[in-house]
Amino acid sequence: MIKRITALILSLIVIFSLAACQNTDTEKAAVESSSEKNVETENVENFKIGIVTPTLSTSEDEFRAGAEMVEKYPGIVKHVTLPENFNAELETGISQILSLADDPEMKAIIVCSGQSGLLPAFEQIREKRPDIITIATMLDEPELMAEYVDISFSTDWVRRGETIPKKAKEMGAKTFIHYSFPTHLAKEAVAQRKQMMEKTCEELGLEFVEIITPDPQTGDGPAAMQQFLREDIPRQIAKYGTDTNIFGSNCPMYDVIIDEALKLKFIVAEQCCPTPTQAYPTVMNLEIEAEDLGNYDKINELIAEKAKEAGMTGRLSGWAMPSSLYVPKFEIELAKYIIENGLELNEDILNEDFLGDFSAEAMGVRADFRALDENTNNYYLLVLESVYY
Amino acid sequence: MKRLRLEAPQLIMISYLVILAVSLKYIGIPYMDMINDSLIKWVMNGVLVLSLVPMINVGAGRNFGLPIGISAGLLGMCIVLEFRLEGWLGFGVSILIGSIIAILFGYIYSIVLNRLKGNEEIVGTFAGFSFIPIMNLFWSLAPFKNRQMLYPVGGQGLRPKINLDGYFGGILDNFLKINIGSLTIPLGLIMFFFILCFMVYLFQRTRMGIAMACIPENEAFAKLSGINIDRYRRIAIIFSNILAAIGIIVYSQSYGFIHLYDGPFMMAFPAVSAILIGGATKNKATVFNVMLGTYLYQTTFLLSVPVANALLIPEMSEIIRMIMTNGIILYAFLYEGVRKRNEKV
Repeated sequence: MIKRITALILSLIVIFSLAACQNTDTEKAAVESSSEKNVETENVENFKIGIVTPTLSTSEDEFRAGAEMVEKYPGIVKHVTLPENFNAELETGISQILSLADDPEMKAIIVCSGQSGLLPAFEQIREKRPDIITIATMLDEPELMAEYVDISFSTDWVRRGETIPKKAKEMGAKTFIHYSFPTHLAKEAVAQRKQMMEKTCEELGLEFVEIITPDPQTGDGPAAMQQFLREDIPRQIAKYGTDTNIFGSNCPMYDVIIDEALKLKFIVAEQCCPTPTQAYPTVMNLEIEAEDLGNYDKINELIAEKAKEAGMTGRLSGWAMPSSLYVPKFEIELAKYIIENGLELNEDILNEDFLGDFSAEAMGVRADFRALDENTNNYYLLVLESVYY
Repeated sequence: MKRLRLEAPQLIMISYLVILAVSLKYIGIPYMDMINDSLIKWVMNGVLVLSLVPMINVGAGRNFGLPIGISAGLLGMCIVLEFRLEGWLGFGVSILIGSIIAILFGYIYSIVLNRLKGNEEIVGTFAGFSFIPIMNLFWSLAPFKNRQMLYPVGGQGLRPKINLDGYFGGILDNFLKINIGSLTIPLGLIMFFFILCFMVYLFQRTRMGIAMACIPENEAFAKLSGINIDRYRRIAIIFSNILAAIGIIVYSQSYGFIHLYDGPFMMAFPAVSAILIGGATKNKATVFNVMLGTYLYQTTFLLSVPVANALLIPEMSEIIRMIMTNGIILYAFLYEGVRKRNEKV
C-alpha cells in the first residue's frame, strides 16, 4: 500500500515538474513564433538586426531585453537564443549566429552572453559578409574581441571602485564602510574594486572601514551573514554617525543593508549589482502590478515614494535599470541608428562623447563610456547614470 | 535534587565566552548592547532548539530533518500574508496554520522514521535536505496573489525573502519591552519562550511523556509493558514538527523577513549543536539543556565576529565558528560511542 502511494506521489511529482517545464517552453515558443511572424512581415522593411542571447533560464535579463526589442521593432529585430547547455554545444551556438548571416537583409548581428568561446563565429561573419556590423558583449579576452568584433561593450565593474565613493561623498558621506568576506575578496574583480575604493576614499578624505562578515559560501550560508549585518550595522552607525555610506560586496547583503538604512538613515550610494529590482521590492514591500512588470520608471517611482515616506530622500541611489538589460537594448538601438542613417563605423561613432549622448537620447538613461585603452577605439567599458531616490 | 553538572563542551564554551567578553572591554563595544542583542538572539533561536526535545526523548534522534517542520511554519506565514492578516491576528493565525501543516508533514515524516529505526539521524538529515528542493518547486509555482510577495521582474513565484514589516515583524520583540537604564529586556519575547518551554516540561511530566521517556531506555521492556511504540514515536515527531513551525515563526518575526528557498537549509546544525552544548545526550534532553545551550552557543557567535574583526584576524572567527558547530556534534557522537563501549564491558 505504502509502496503504491509512494509510487503515485513520485509519478505525480514527475508529471508536475514536466508540466512546469512545459510552461516555460510554451513561453519560449510563443516568443519564437512571434519573432517568426515578424519575419513574415519583414519583407516590407529593407534591413534586419539579429540579436543572440542565452535562454530564459540561463539569463533572464538578456533574454527579456531581446524579447522586448522584438516587440518594439517588429520586423526589424530577430531574436535567436544560444543552446541551453552552452559549453557542451559551442558549435551549435556558433552555427546559430552564422545562420543569421545567411539572410541577405541582415545588416547587424549582436551577441550578448556572459560566456566566452563564440569568437570564431565573428571571424567567419567577417569573411562571409563583411558588410554586417557586429556588436558583442562577451567574456572573451578584450584584446581578441577588439580584433574580431566591430564594437564591444562591457560593464566596468572595477571603475565603480572610483565612482561609488565619489557619489557617496556627494551624497554627504564622511565614512565609507565596505562589508565583504574571505572567499569573495579572493575574486580579482572584488579585490580590485575594494583597493580602488580605499584609494579613492583616501583622496576624497573619507574614512574607509573594512569589515569582514561570516562567509556565506562556507559554513551556515547567507543567514549567518545577514544576521551579523543586522547586529553590526547599528553598532557601526552608533560609532560613525548617520553620514556613513555602506557598501556590501554580496547581493543578499542588501536586503538587510537597505532595511537598516530605512531605520537608521545612513547612505547607500550604490548596490553591488545596482538595479531597482534587487532588495528594494522586498524591503519596501513594493506591490508591482502585472502591467508594470519590466517598467523600470514606474518601479523607480515607487521606490522614490517609499524613500520619501521614510525621510530618506537623497540618501539612496542606484542605477535606473540593471546593466545586463540595458546593454543589449542599447546595442540594438545603436545598430539601428547606424544602419538607418547609412553611417560608416569611424571616429564619429567610435568616440566616448557620441556614445554617451546617444545612450541618453535612445535609452533615456545616460551611460558613461570609457575605451579599454588608448590604442583601442572599439572596446568600451560603461557605467550607468545614477537615479537618486 | 537536580545537580548541575558541567561537561567538557559547556566548559569549553564558557571559557571561550569569557575570553571574548574580556576582550570586548578592550575594543570598546558596550556590554549592555551585547546583552540586549544576546537576549533577542537567545529566544529567536531558542524555540527551534526546543523543537528537538520531544524527538530526542522518544529515542528518534536529534532532528536533523528540522527543515521539514520549518517549511510548515514558512508555509503558514505565506498563507497569512496572502490574506494580509496583520499584527497579533497574523502572528496567531500563522502559528495555527503552521501547526496544522506541521501535523501533516510530521505524520508523513514519522512514517518514514518509524520504518527506519536506528538510523533516524542520517535519514532525517537527508529527508530534510531533499525536502527543500520540493518546497523550492512549490514556492516558485504556488499561485499566491499578494504582489508584495512575488518576484519583481517576472511577477510569478515567491520572492526569496519577504518583508514582515507591516504584518507582524518584531511583534514579540517589542511586546512588553522593559528598559532599565541602557538594558532592554524583551519581556514578551522571553515570556513566550518560557511558556513554550513550560509546556514541553509539563508534557514530559504527563503519563504519555513518561511513557515516551522509557522507550529509548529499554525498547523491549516498553513494548512488553503494552506501550505502542510506533504511536508514541509518531506523536513525538509531530510535536517536534509543530514546535519547529512555531520556532521559525518566532525566528522570522525577530529577523524581519521570511526566508524561503534555501533559507532553512543550514538551520538544523546550529540547533543540534546548541542543544548538545546544553548537555543533552542522544536519548535525554531537558528544557534546561535547551535554555543553557542556546544562550551559550548564540552568544558566542554574537561576540566572536566583532572581536575577530577588531583584532584583525577576521577569517579566524569563521574557522572557530565552524570548529564549534561541527566539532561539538562530533564530540557528542564520540562521547556516546565511548559510553556504549564502556557499558558493554
